[in-house]
Amino acid sequence: MQTTEKTNKPIYYGWYVCAATMFVGFVVIGVRNSFGVFVVPMSEEFEWNRFTVSIAAGLGVLVNGLCQPFAGQIFDRTGGRKMILISLAVLGTGVILLSLTFHILFLVFMFGIVVSTAQSGPALSNTAALMSRWFKRRRGTAISVNSAALSLGGLIMVPFSMYLLQATNWHVAWIVLGVVVLATIPMAYLFLHERPEDKGLFPDGDSDPAAVGAVARRRGGPGPLEVTSWRHAFRSSPIWQLSGSYLVCGMTTSVLAVHFIPFAIEDRGVSGTTAATIFGYMMGLNIIGVLGAGILSDKIGGTKNWLALVYFVRGLAYILLVTIDSVVGMWIFATVAGFSWIATVPLTSSLTAEVYGLKAMGTISGISFMFHSIGGFLSILLAGLLFDLSGSYTLPFALVGALLFPAAISAFSIKERKYSARYQTSLPTVAAAGD
Amino acid sequence: MAALATFILAHSGDAADPELIHWIKERLDQIFGPGPWAVVAVMGLAIFAIPVFVVVVYLLQAKRRSDFEHIDQETQEYEKAP
Repeated sequence: MQTTEKTNKPIYYGWYVCAATMFVGFVVIGVRNSFGVFVVPMSEEFEWNRFTVSIAAGLGVLVNGLCQPFAGQIFDRTGGRKMILISLAVLGTGVILLSLTFHILFLVFMFGIVVSTAQSGPALSNTAALMSRWFKRRRGTAISVNSAALSLGGLIMVPFSMYLLQATNWHVAWIVLGVVVLATIPMAYLFLHERPEDKGLFPDGDSDPAAVGAVARRRGGPGPLEVTSWRHAFRSSPIWQLSGSYLVCGMTTSVLAVHFIPFAIEDRGVSGTTAATIFGYMMGLNIIGVLGAGILSDKIGGTKNWLALVYFVRGLAYILLVTIDSVVGMWIFATVAGFSWIATVPLTSSLTAEVYGLKAMGTISGISFMFHSIGGFLSILLAGLLFDLSGSYTLPFALVGALLFPAAISAFSIKERKYSARYQTSLPTVAAAGD
Repeated sequence: MAALATFILAHSGDAADPELIHWIKERLDQIFGPGPWAVVAVMGLAIFAIPVFVVVVYLLQAKRRSDFEHIDQETQEYEKAP
């Protein structure tokens, strides 16, 4: 026994799974976001106008959002490893084939359908479900690491694609990006495994659930809403509360991603460089925010309270954005909003896993993410329309920002202690009395 | 509709706003100069350093893992013994 205590415990295998999904997500989101940089060279060569090319991008966004619940269902039925590996092979091949583009219909089919469908395989909804199997006590942290990687993917892979285009041409650049996607397969093959049981382990690397004492006992029992089919989940209120809030999350992040810089330039009179600097600062803070949200919810508990707080803080940020008419106001907004930007992702995913269990987690998460995409799509449309009518972004920002307060109430009113597996007691313990 | 499609095209990802990417490119140009190959090489290496680092850590931990599994097995056998 003394020898066991002296030997340092090796890194839990779940963290390798987390690193693999992180790298896969980093590359996949980077390739998706890189599409924009190919528009000009491809349009010039084939004499397409922007609207023609945008059909492929628009279809891609739609197909990717709609495919997520189906990808989730495949994840639940066949497992994440197989699905992610096949998706990566199709995605990498599809991206390489984009180098052979000769007609707009080829681009629409290859990017809008093949590549976008394949991207829904290693989507965050599925990797979050995979993380939920490997982690219980540190679920929020593991999902938040995955979410932060997506932000980094956009920030690193897109400039990489830009320089690659500058150094070569669009044919070669698509081939290189496809090869980068295919290069994720060995790592995914090596490290992605379905469950800790496959490696003779327990979630979080606990050698025996009883060994972690009261915490394990507190998390011992399944929640009363644990489901085997996603249909059953949508008969209860928490998933509607989570998805409704997530719809608002999609609205408030997408509207800013699209309209923040035009708003800063046209409504606030800020230069393009300063606006981009503020936006970059906000994107940097979101990495800290998302990691912090995951770690705090794991350490302190009360996931729905953190989720409500994130929506509330973002709501306050929106108030600052529309009321303070200065550059200082923009910086204050960026600071407050930055911390809350994608912090909802690990909180929503871990709460979904804790309430509904893991059997249908892929599908349920996929549907929640679809709500997020729908919210984003609607808000972009609404903001564009209201800008045309009012000549300012203040009204659309105020409207979507106001929705954050009902979203915070919706998250806060989830009966987490009643439904979450985290608060179920399988054994009558002293610790349970402290709840 | 055309405006919407252009928006989607220009902003297909939250973290990839074109103005932001342009700003990042300006900063990188300041560091590496205007030649694209240096940045491609540095960023390419940074991207591939991620899986290499993970695999190296995994291999470095191999001995510790096997030692721990061995001790864990011994402990279980010891506890099962009457």
